[in-house]
Amino acid sequence: MRNWLVGLMLLMSLAFVYGCDTGNQVRVAVAGPFTGTAAAFGEMIKRGAQLKEKEINEAGGINGKMLKLVFKDDAGKPKDASNVANSIADNRRFLAVVGHFNSSCSLAGKPIYKQKGIVELSPGSTNVKVCEGSDWTFRNLYRDDFQGQFVAEYVNKYINEIKTVAILFDNDDYGRGLRDGFTSAAGNFGLNIVASEAYDRNSTDFKAQLTGIKAKNPDLVFISGLYSEAGLIVKQGREVGITAQFFGADGVDSPDFLTVAGDAAEGTYLTTPFIFSEGGGEALRVAEAFKTEFNGIEPDTWAALSYDAVGMIAEAIEKTFDQDASLADKRKAIRDHLASLNTPEKGYTGITGLTYFDKNGDTVNKPAYVKIVENGKFITAPQQLLNAGSQE
Amino acid sequence: MSVFLLQLINGLVQGGIYALIAVGYTMVYGIIQLINFAHGEIFMLGAYFALILVTATPLPFWAAVLLSMVFCAVLGMLIDYIAYRPLRNAPRLSALITAIGVSLTLLNLARMLWSSRQRTFPDDSKPAIFQSKIDLETGEVFNAIPLPDGAILPYTDIFIILLAVVLMFALNRLVHLTKIGKAMRACAQNPVAANLMGIKTNQVISVTFAIGSALGAVAGVMVGLREAIMPTMGYHKGIAAFAAAVLGGIGNITGAMLGGIIIGLAEAFGGGYISGGYKLAFAYVIMIVVILIRPSGLFGKSTAQRA
Repeated sequence: MRNWLVGLMLLMSLAFVYGCDTGNQVRVAVAGPFTGTAAAFGEMIKRGAQLKEKEINEAGGINGKMLKLVFKDDAGKPKDASNVANSIADNRRFLAVVGHFNSSCSLAGKPIYKQKGIVELSPGSTNVKVCEGSDWTFRNLYRDDFQGQFVAEYVNKYINEIKTVAILFDNDDYGRGLRDGFTSAAGNFGLNIVASEAYDRNSTDFKAQLTGIKAKNPDLVFISGLYSEAGLIVKQGREVGITAQFFGADGVDSPDFLTVAGDAAEGTYLTTPFIFSEGGGEALRVAEAFKTEFNGIEPDTWAALSYDAVGMIAEAIEKTFDQDASLADKRKAIRDHLASLNTPEKGYTGITGLTYFDKNGDTVNKPAYVKIVENGKFITAPQQLLNAGSQE
Repeated sequence: MSVFLLQLINGLVQGGIYALIAVGYTMVYGIIQLINFAHGEIFMLGAYFALILVTATPLPFWAAVLLSMVFCAVLGMLIDYIAYRPLRNAPRLSALITAIGVSLTLLNLARMLWSSRQRTFPDDSKPAIFQSKIDLETGEVFNAIPLPDGAILPYTDIFIILLAVVLMFALNRLVHLTKIGKAMRACAQNPVAANLMGIKTNQVISVTFAIGSALGAVAGVMVGLREAIMPTMGYHKGIAAFAAAVLGGIGNITGAMLGGIIIGLAEAFGGGYISGGYKLAFAYVIMIVVILIRPSGLFGKSTAQRA
């Protein structure tokens, strides 16, 4: 009886192994927050990646093999991200990783991907340190030292009579890093920081911090965190009588910010790495294709960046394709290809513009855009600051 | 000065909410010595149920709140009937593990049904007193008390504090003055003896679950009004409320109320004056200090009155 059972199990596991045979497939993992409080980002990342996957496969795949994306959920938590990173790196079918999204998750995955030798290309992590110290980590958007300075410069140039600023930051790598970027630039642009308060990601009650900020009566409140908390902060801020201008960064750039904050969102400024209307013809085509594919849902910045990240990885696999190479060599070849994209001429042109990497694996040429909430929708702010202080 | 006053109010509001949840933990523990970890999820489901009723049906807000209380009371009794009653004479650890299992099941069920996104009550579904705001152009204040230095005190906060006080007082009277209250106290003292005296212990336990769950539902709706509704709210608020129950001496209703207020105030003052990032830590530090000095909590078992 027992032998029979063991035999059956062996058979089933064999069938499983062969059933997943990748002979005709090229597998890439996409790691991001598909559940948890940042899940709205995860959904967009997934859709953007799926659209690119479909387009690549409809155009004949990668050297005749179908691209297969596998989505791995890190819930936006570094602890889960390390587990996901290990399971991806140890899986012999994955050639590369698109992700993670949250800076703290990319940072948690970095040493694992480096040690095991697989590329991590983040379409969303902006913390300064994300790509530092690892040859295997790349990103296709700006860093927070640039973003923080950009916000300070924009506020100084285009929003009238802002002298004092209060910061509310998420107590994680993204929130703290962006706060530092903004704080170090604020003085140069005549902004006086009167309060800097932390909050915890799991919190939904921000009135203790907001009451303290209200007492200082700042002209502007800068939120260095994600949309879900930012939505509640803006809403509760108006409830405790804060009349200051709210300004968020790219973490706030999700339609869910509008649904959580409701009327209180009106007039909020935020920065973002990409706006479809500024992206030209190919971006608009992708936006239309996205809407057709996903029942009229509008793509956002993160869908665009993950669309491009999948495109870059697919191109790298195509150009370095060698059927007979070992797994480690295949993975290494992809890394070497990405690292070789180090000048504007060699860069990858996607819908979010030209992407090329510096020696860290950072993208340093991409601008930031500003959006504003008007009548319950994000619109492109009338003033843009495309020649802000360069990052290097 | 007004900052201090506002932080005090913030603390009392959170404290009132924690107290409402904590009595649910403590009443059940008082009678069957079970830490009902599913209580946090009942609180969460109460909020969702009210939200669904006000958005999907034409029911007025207060009717939705009452229905949600009834729903949670039934759910609480059902969980007891299905999951805990068969284990009444099993080792306590079995029931505890079951409670954790029920909690995780309900949490993930909510995730599947409603996704992990944050939701709030739509403005048009809320009664006017919960819609405090400030007009950005004129500085005019609606549904809130303007304070001298420009801060405002929303009616919502005052309402939640009053509601918590009224419900706590009503619960206290129920336990001390009614027949069922007497039966609950008897079961808490000695379930076997109570049974021998003709008290139907299982019925009393069901009523205990129902009362605790209904109060949890009220707390859920209040959190939904003031903050947000999401599947993990039960875990985060529940764990703080559980700390409040332990701090007050688990099994003791007055202790749970006081523990809730202490945790709420610690969060507000610690978060407001020291560091917002460690808001929850202050609450737990206070709990640990109290437990170190008085291991059975403020009103621990040495006082005879439990239930």
